[in-house]
Amino acid sequence: MEIQLNAIKKAYGERLVLDIDHYGIEKGQIMGIVGPNGAGKTTLLRILAGLDHDYEGHVTYDGQELNRAIQKKMTLVFQKPYLFHRSVYENIAYPLKIRKTPKEKIKVKVEEILNNLEITSLKQQNARSLSGGESQKVSLARALVFEPRLLLLDEPTSNIDPLSLEILEREIIRYNRKSCASVIIVTHSMEQAERLCDKIIYMNNGKVIK
Amino acid sequence: MDYIIDGFFKAIQLLTSFDQEVYGIIILSLLVSSTATLISSTFSIPLGIYLGAKEFKGKRIFSRLLFTSMSVPSVIVGLVVAILLARRGPFGSLQLLFTPQAMIIAQTLLVIPLCLGLTFNLSRTRGKEIKEMGITMGGSKINTLFLMIRELKMDILINIVTTFSRAISEVGAVMIVGGNIKNDTRVITTSIAMFNSMGDYPTAIALGLVLLLLSFIVNSLIYNYNQGG
Repeated sequence: MEIQLNAIKKAYGERLVLDIDHYGIEKGQIMGIVGPNGAGKTTLLRILAGLDHDYEGHVTYDGQELNRAIQKKMTLVFQKPYLFHRSVYENIAYPLKIRKTPKEKIKVKVEEILNNLEITSLKQQNARSLSGGESQKVSLARALVFEPRLLLLDEPTSNIDPLSLEILEREIIRYNRKSCASVIIVTHSMEQAERLCDKIIYMNNGKVIK
Repeated sequence: MDYIIDGFFKAIQLLTSFDQEVYGIIILSLLVSSTATLISSTFSIPLGIYLGAKEFKGKRIFSRLLFTSMSVPSVIVGLVVAILLARRGPFGSLQLLFTPQAMIIAQTLLVIPLCLGLTFNLSRTRGKEIKEMGITMGGSKINTLFLMIRELKMDILINIVTTFSRAISEVGAVMIVGGNIKNDTRVITTSIAMFNSMGDYPTAIALGLVLLLLSFIVNSLIYNYNQGG
């Protein structure tokens, strides 16, 4: 999905937290956004995800304004994921269920993603009882299972163990290469951005610096 | 002191002998309060969830007014409903005053602000992240509303129990609109007040015990469900 940001301004009271004149995000790329706390990274991600409508300017997705059809083709993985009070399997199956995917197909897809993220053993476990790393894997699995055209990731690997980090990064890259979906990842780690991303932008004080 | 102990034993006797009048009162109380709880919950829960998670102008004032209305005295609600349903009132032709239906209307109006306020507050404090998760999963507004209700079901259930407790324990509104008519509109709370004033302590204690027992059963069910869930 190709994204164009035009004259985006977002303020909290007097404080301008986002000020992007024009910026284009190419289709099929993994783009990293790095920058210090308060740079406007998460705010930008929330606007792109359609969670924040209180801003000036325009965002277009493949030339269209945000609408229901576009919203169904994208997702956001939060830094602190909210997992439903249900099993891991049901959490991952949820986006497919609301898209009225046949039960058999849901089963195949969920099993496949559980296997890819190496969490098959957690399938029947209550998702609320998982560790931080496990929760992030389930959250990513739930995001990838319906094959979004735009995957937004807000520091999805903060505070997780190195092995889980490796698995998450591997699956993000694999998904991008396989589906040609656009991926935008906010991270504090320049090393991670360099490992994962085709393009990296640096943000500070609400502006895209480079 | 003896009359209290005596009253207690007579109360047990009344309950175990399945006294027709006592059980008629209990059944009517359950029927009126359950219906009022059902109507108010059906209306208040989806609306409270929706409004709590939605950002709109005047939300702070709305929440203040809502929380204030949660503590409206039951006699005021009873009075308003009685005036509206009185023979000369705007709904007098329906001839509902001093009927169980009038009691259901009064209790429903009394508990709607409570159920709505509790659900609104729940959604406002805990609903936002669930709503955002629902949106990012690509769910429709209906999908997201159902998701929120399902995720908050335990707290919603507690709100419903609180609503039922308020309904079944109130005396002012049902006394005014029901009139405490024997075998017709007499419920547990109005009976306790009446039997107490008549000096019939055993029956008053028996009905008081039933109220406590109902509260215990409902709360135990919720507790067990919570443990299981």
